[in-house]
Amino acid sequence: MQQLDNQEILMKLKSSKQFWDIKKKIKQGFSDQQKIGVNDIQKFAQSCEIEDQLIKLISHILKKSKKRETLKEDQIEFLNTSKIKWTELLFKNLDIVHQKTKNQEEDDTNTDSKLYIYDEKNLLAFLQTFKQQQSNNLYQNVQFQSNKILNINIPLKSSQSILDKYQYLLLQEELSDEKINKIRKQIENEHLDIELEKIAQTFVPNGERCLLYLKYFEFDHQDTVLQQHFVKLQKECLNQLFYDELLEIDGHEISEDTFYFVFQEQILTCLKCFIRDRTIKENIRIQLQSGIKKEHAEFQLPITGFFPFKNISKYVAPLCYLSTKIHIIYALFKEFFCRYFCFLHAISSESNSILSLCMQIEEIVSTRSPKLFHHLKVIGCDTLKLIIHQLVYCFIGDMDPPHILTIYDQIIGHDSLEILVILCVGFLNKYKSKLLLAKNQENVQQIFSELREDRFQELVQYAYKQ
Amino acid sequence: MSEYFRKYIKKEHYANHYSNLKFKTSFRNCILEAFKRRLWKETDGDDWDIMWAEKEWIHEVMDHTHLQSNQKINHFRNHYELTRKDLMIKNFKRYKKNLEREGKQEEANNYNFFPLTFHLPSEYPIFFEEFKRQTNNGDTKTAWIMKPIGKSQGKGIFIFNKIQQISQWKNTLRYNQDNPQAEAYIVQKYIADPLLIGGKKFDMRIYLLCTSYQPLTLYLYRTGFARFTHHRYDNEDISNTYVHLTNVAIQKTSDNYDEKLGGKWNLQTLKLYLMTKYGQEKVAETFYNIQMLMIRSLQAVQKIIINDKHCFELYGFDILLDAQLKPWLLEVNASPSMTSNTPVDFELKCGLLDDVFTIIDLEKVLTGNEEQIGGFDLICKGTPIKLPINSTFTTYLGAFNNRQQQLKKIAKSTAIRLAQTYQESQTKAIEVGSKGQKEKEEKDKQMRSSSKGPQVMQNGVNGSIKTNNQSKQNTIIKRNTTNLPTLGTVQNKNNVKRYPLQNAGQQSQQIQQSQSNSSKKNNPNEDSMLSANQKLQKLTQESKINQFQPYKQQSQYNDVMGMGSRNLQKNEE
Repeated sequence: MQQLDNQEILMKLKSSKQFWDIKKKIKQGFSDQQKIGVNDIQKFAQSCEIEDQLIKLISHILKKSKKRETLKEDQIEFLNTSKIKWTELLFKNLDIVHQKTKNQEEDDTNTDSKLYIYDEKNLLAFLQTFKQQQSNNLYQNVQFQSNKILNINIPLKSSQSILDKYQYLLLQEELSDEKINKIRKQIENEHLDIELEKIAQTFVPNGERCLLYLKYFEFDHQDTVLQQHFVKLQKECLNQLFYDELLEIDGHEISEDTFYFVFQEQILTCLKCFIRDRTIKENIRIQLQSGIKKEHAEFQLPITGFFPFKNISKYVAPLCYLSTKIHIIYALFKEFFCRYFCFLHAISSESNSILSLCMQIEEIVSTRSPKLFHHLKVIGCDTLKLIIHQLVYCFIGDMDPPHILTIYDQIIGHDSLEILVILCVGFLNKYKSKLLLAKNQENVQQIFSELREDRFQELVQYAYKQ
Repeated sequence: MSEYFRKYIKKEHYANHYSNLKFKTSFRNCILEAFKRRLWKETDGDDWDIMWAEKEWIHEVMDHTHLQSNQKINHFRNHYELTRKDLMIKNFKRYKKNLEREGKQEEANNYNFFPLTFHLPSEYPIFFEEFKRQTNNGDTKTAWIMKPIGKSQGKGIFIFNKIQQISQWKNTLRYNQDNPQAEAYIVQKYIADPLLIGGKKFDMRIYLLCTSYQPLTLYLYRTGFARFTHHRYDNEDISNTYVHLTNVAIQKTSDNYDEKLGGKWNLQTLKLYLMTKYGQEKVAETFYNIQMLMIRSLQAVQKIIINDKHCFELYGFDILLDAQLKPWLLEVNASPSMTSNTPVDFELKCGLLDDVFTIIDLEKVLTGNEEQIGGFDLICKGTPIKLPINSTFTTYLGAFNNRQQQLKKIAKSTAIRLAQTYQESQTKAIEVGSKGQKEKEEKDKQMRSSSKGPQVMQNGVNGSIKTNNQSKQNTIIKRNTTNLPTLGTVQNKNNVKRYPLQNAGQQSQQIQQSQSNSSKKNNPNEDSMLSANQKLQKLTQESKINQFQPYKQQSQYNDVMGMGSRNLQKNEE
């Protein structure tokens, strides 16, 4: 996004509710005077903190308009080297996958439908290796005392602060129709992110969600632009890539989900376009794989700068419940991935990264449910291994689409993935009693293979249950 | 889940025990399975109590046979007035005209749910005029769809937008003029902007049971399904039938037909999708419109169909939504397919049929005034039934199908009522015999307390509550008995006032929010028995109320929620 000039700032200001509130306040302040000078207004504004509010408002507009730089280097050197290792590992996996597909072409009888470069378990296993590496060096003493899988010295938010932040969700009340209609109008008229975030934090009525997302991502008047961009990408899809094959295999899994099978084709189209989209590299908030180029390798990283992974289709699926227009679905998916979901695959010390989220979950579970934590450790089925799937895929497939979209609301509302920590903790608490009875990994698997139904609100409740 | 009835109702309380019932059918799919699950016996002879016949049988045999008073059959004599494409439209048009003539313009305007239709060859000239008029207006894109009358499963259907495309059909018709019926068609304006989901066209199959045309008695089934085409919809390409026709019979032949899911969503999933996309209110309106569409369709033919107490009919309505969520009636099937292509589908259809049989009530255990039986909701009895204004629902169509819980409740309350009437008839008999009343009562008491359920009630009547380890059940039934003694007997019917909703009132409103799907609202005209039934429902609900109250939208979801296949399986297993 380019720099804004004064005119544009004013326009943005005018589109926010807060601006009009301030104006009203000023008007009220001068209602009895006839001549008003600029100085009077300035004095008045200073006296009742209006100036501060205005400054905040403008700075918020400017901040939002500034392009976010993609994070390439992490502040912790150790993670930078790890990222390179991770990338190398993935290149190796790619070779294996490629070899397998070649074999399959020769031998039709042996079709392996589970072809992917990496999945969430690989990712966790890789994160686990950090412990050993670090313990060899500095933190040996600390390691001995801890049962946690991950214990790396990165700056972490206190888990209590996360719990406090989302506690308001417990107090959600039923909203009257009148209030819901008010929110609807607000979404239609509001343009300022900070206000949209507030709405997303509390409640988004069905039917308005798409508009809210589009506005938040500043897509609301760009329908034709989005469409053109998408059509262009679709044309590029005519050139087959090796990765297409992987995506197609990936799509089969989604086709077995009752809620999403209808959208299989749309999802695949979106993903094919996604791996061909040049703009992703500049928009993505964090670089997932270190962009090393292998001179003699048969394959390079896709244009996006990272490999497609297993179940990538899951991220697209719930968005199909928002719009019938595929270019809108694509635009939303792209933005969600570049802003948020990328962190779920990033080896980084950022507060949203998979590493931080995992560590926070471990922290909360080990302090609030030490018995469960210990029990899982003993039966060889660590806490994180249990919830890694739900965490990385945002509970998609575990909850019904409207609940998933509520999670998305929260992600936007707080510009953060921390809600997933709350939900994962709630998830474990929900099945706590059953898990405590489990004697081995098979028991645990059995618990989760049974029919179950998890709901957003329910998991939040469980998360705060002592 | 008729097993609940078998479980709770004692053998001697049945007016007609299920082991005495016989059925006859030539079908070998879900129908046979559903019959067998009720433990009825199959027969080849004429001594059947219920017959599930093919349509043709009705036409050939029914007029020449005398049916016994207890015999039931699954078609009305001239059902084709509604279920043959051309006659249906003719009847709708005629009914609409009558309404206009009677000055009921508003109601007449509601008959706008079928596309512009002409009967060919008889109305060919009018059609040709209309076609020409449109072409002259520069509208060359409007497509028309030709459907052969009386064929099903999408056979013989084609779409065209140039008059030349039907010239071939016209020619063959001319050759066949000796036998004009052979190629009778209807031609309909094609609905060109259907609602697409995932880029695919779909239509809905919804089940409606009619047990009588006088008074018009209709039950609507909560679960239906949406059938998707397998190819992306393309308005330009009108020759590819896979794109345009949703019939399973057609889609099955497509290359990438998915066996596992059968290209279907159940109605609850569809509702969930629509709610997420369009919001609660719009979807509620749409589903209400669908319900009214079905009632209006039957009202239009009410006076034409020959009513017969032997007959009932299960209709499969095919309904299409356009991009504005307006429902269009495509067709009414008199014998909707009862073969299944997935296990979920199989259970859905068996459950549906089981509920049909419960409503038909060959065992004669119900009062006939039940508002919900299994997955069926009574939507019309003489006049359409209106739900209370403060109800969260405008229609139960597509709501959570709680048939299992509901049948359990209804079986329990029925058992109580039957035990009651049985006892009363016994006491009467004794009174007539003047002596030995006490002894008889003692006997009765002994006999009843030997088994659970309805018998516990006797304790309540006698004012002595046995301490029972089933204390919960005890209290529920005890509380009911305070209302019970007068119930179920006809002469007292008017004396017993139903408690209006205020009574169940504030606290139950919460219950309704969280479990509203399972509770039916009061209707002042209802039989008094139901109030006991409802109280029972309420009480059983109270013990089940969830601790937390999710916020509004969430609770509305809950009604629909989880009735994706996951829950359906859970329920029906």
